[in-house]
Amino acid sequence: MLQLHHLLLLLPLLLPLYGAIFCLFSWNRVNLQMAIACVIQLAMVVASGALLYAVNHEGILVTQLGNWPAPFGITLVADLFSALMVVTASITGAAVVLFSLRGLDLPRQDYGYYPLILMLQMGVAGVCLTGDLFNLFVWFEVLLICCFVMITLGGTKPQLEGAIKYVTINILASGLLLTGIGVVYGITGSLNMAELAMLVRMPSINKSLFLMASTFFIVSLGIKAALFPLFFWLPASYHTPPIAISSFIGGLLTKVGIYAMIRLFTLIFVVEQELILAFFTITAGFTMVIGVLGAAAHYDFRKILSFHIVSQIGYMLMGLAIFTTLSIAGTILFIVHNVFVKTNLFLVSGVVGRLKGSFDLKKLGSQYLQRPFLALLFLISALALAGLPPLSGFWPKFILVKAGLEAEQYTIVGVSLCVSIITLFSMTKIWNEVFWKKQPETDETEPDADRLTKALLYAPIIFLALCILYIGLNAEAAIGLAYRAAEQVLNTDLYINAVLNR
Amino acid sequence: MRTIILATAIRLLIPVFQIFSVYILFRGHNHPGGGFIGGLIGSIGFIFYVMTYGTKHTLKNYFRVHLKNDKVADLHSRARHRFHIARVNSRYRQRVEDEWKWEHRIMRIRPVYIIATGLFLAATSGLIGLFSGNPYMTAIWTGLEIPIVGKPGTTLLFDAGVYLLVFGIVLKITFVMAEE
Repeated sequence: MLQLHHLLLLLPLLLPLYGAIFCLFSWNRVNLQMAIACVIQLAMVVASGALLYAVNHEGILVTQLGNWPAPFGITLVADLFSALMVVTASITGAAVVLFSLRGLDLPRQDYGYYPLILMLQMGVAGVCLTGDLFNLFVWFEVLLICCFVMITLGGTKPQLEGAIKYVTINILASGLLLTGIGVVYGITGSLNMAELAMLVRMPSINKSLFLMASTFFIVSLGIKAALFPLFFWLPASYHTPPIAISSFIGGLLTKVGIYAMIRLFTLIFVVEQELILAFFTITAGFTMVIGVLGAAAHYDFRKILSFHIVSQIGYMLMGLAIFTTLSIAGTILFIVHNVFVKTNLFLVSGVVGRLKGSFDLKKLGSQYLQRPFLALLFLISALALAGLPPLSGFWPKFILVKAGLEAEQYTIVGVSLCVSIITLFSMTKIWNEVFWKKQPETDETEPDADRLTKALLYAPIIFLALCILYIGLNAEAAIGLAYRAAEQVLNTDLYINAVLNR
Repeated sequence: MRTIILATAIRLLIPVFQIFSVYILFRGHNHPGGGFIGGLIGSIGFIFYVMTYGTKHTLKNYFRVHLKNDKVADLHSRARHRFHIARVNSRYRQRVEDEWKWEHRIMRIRPVYIIATGLFLAATSGLIGLFSGNPYMTAIWTGLEIPIVGKPGTTLLFDAGVYLLVFGIVLKITFVMAEE
């Protein structure tokens, strides 16, 4: 009969797919779509939690789709890292869907928002679970096409302007990724990631040619993850759509790019590794600095947060660049923490924007006086982002710095610490302007909101803040999990043996 | 672009395209063909129909189902009442006696529903393999050999899903483009 691990690996993909299908069947009935999306997202959280539990107890889970054996068919693989990503994505997705019940305007909800966000969720889970290089590309396309539509949903002028940049650069990135996959297939004759990992470690591999192939992946995944020279599309487009959309996209998508980078550059592209890692170190430093400086210069709530996404990506790349078990563990924990924190900050900005009708720091004020609870929630996320001790941001940064010092990479450690301080500065700026200073005189009336609306806007933020606090206060368990995930990532034999069934 | 030749021909050609597309769908397992190309061919007829007659007319003629509902419920048996309604509805375009008794309802078949049905079929065809203890998408065959159709199995269900998906998407694109 039904075998549990086949089902567990499929549920994160099938649940959103069926959710989207049922949403399509109930086209024009928004309330029904809302109910479906909420139920599916809750089920996703449970299913991905079960997947994480199973992977944690039984090791890497594998299923061969269509019962075709490994190098020929498409494999789905879940190790601890990918299971953690799926859990993070589903929790974030649940929070965002809950927020969008009231945080998104009705015409947009009516025009296919719920099927899209479910499909996007499926794309994210697909990228995390696939064990096939071409399939990875396909899932990236699933995810990007949903993103394209979601960014343009509603069709206002700034949205279209942002979307043009987003779509153009991402199509370019997809083209490069596909070219890279083609080159890798041409060199090795395989697309299965486990078999590739085995082939590139053979002495017969053509090193210079394979290094050339890996540059395609550096550039294309670098664009998707918004690394230093390639990040400019992100702040230009992420602030344009409504918050419910940009929080999910901004919170999750670049991290999926980083996930793919870590997966591929630990498993497959290990040829001439010193060269690649040195490049990553430099890029990571620049990404951090440029991102945070951009954030310091801006006075729009959402633009500041968008630039911070870029800056935080630098930390994640830094962990990959140092390339020890500890540093990869730091990166993994950083990704999980950052998805929660970034989404939560976007959601807080959404609540402020919804209740005050503006995102401009200069027009906002007095929120601490009017909404002390919201101010507390913002403070938790903002300080977690900056990395203050009891909160979730401190531990991954601490691990990264420790790993950096152990590996004697003092420059990047210094840069990362300075960037942390500037991050704190720009969070303080938001705090000062939005929550602390006196409300400037405006003649605009505030849009009013009833009790249920407020409850539904606050619930996801409280939920995510609890997740942040949980990671911060129960750090030992979180760090232990991340460390074991990093061990699994670096011990590639485990992955290869699990997939190829040797 | 309404010429009398095209307008007359396309009415006759739509069923031809449909039948040919289904043939291509069945042929697809072992020969060139399959759900994707079948769906495209199946929608060609409708594209031409939209070009000659316009979206409104197409929707009215092909994507609306007229249902008749008996306002006076049969108090004795609900099942008999349903059967009665089903029997009346199955008489296509025939006048029924006691016209006043019938309530007319129009059901629209949106392209979105066709897309969703296609996705549902395709996704569910994989589940059959999953619930028989194999990985998802494992093909299960019936072992029958039917002329034209070939050997039906879950892959045929998957292909039919792709057919409907492509068919629905092309229709949706056609309707949107024609309106602009």
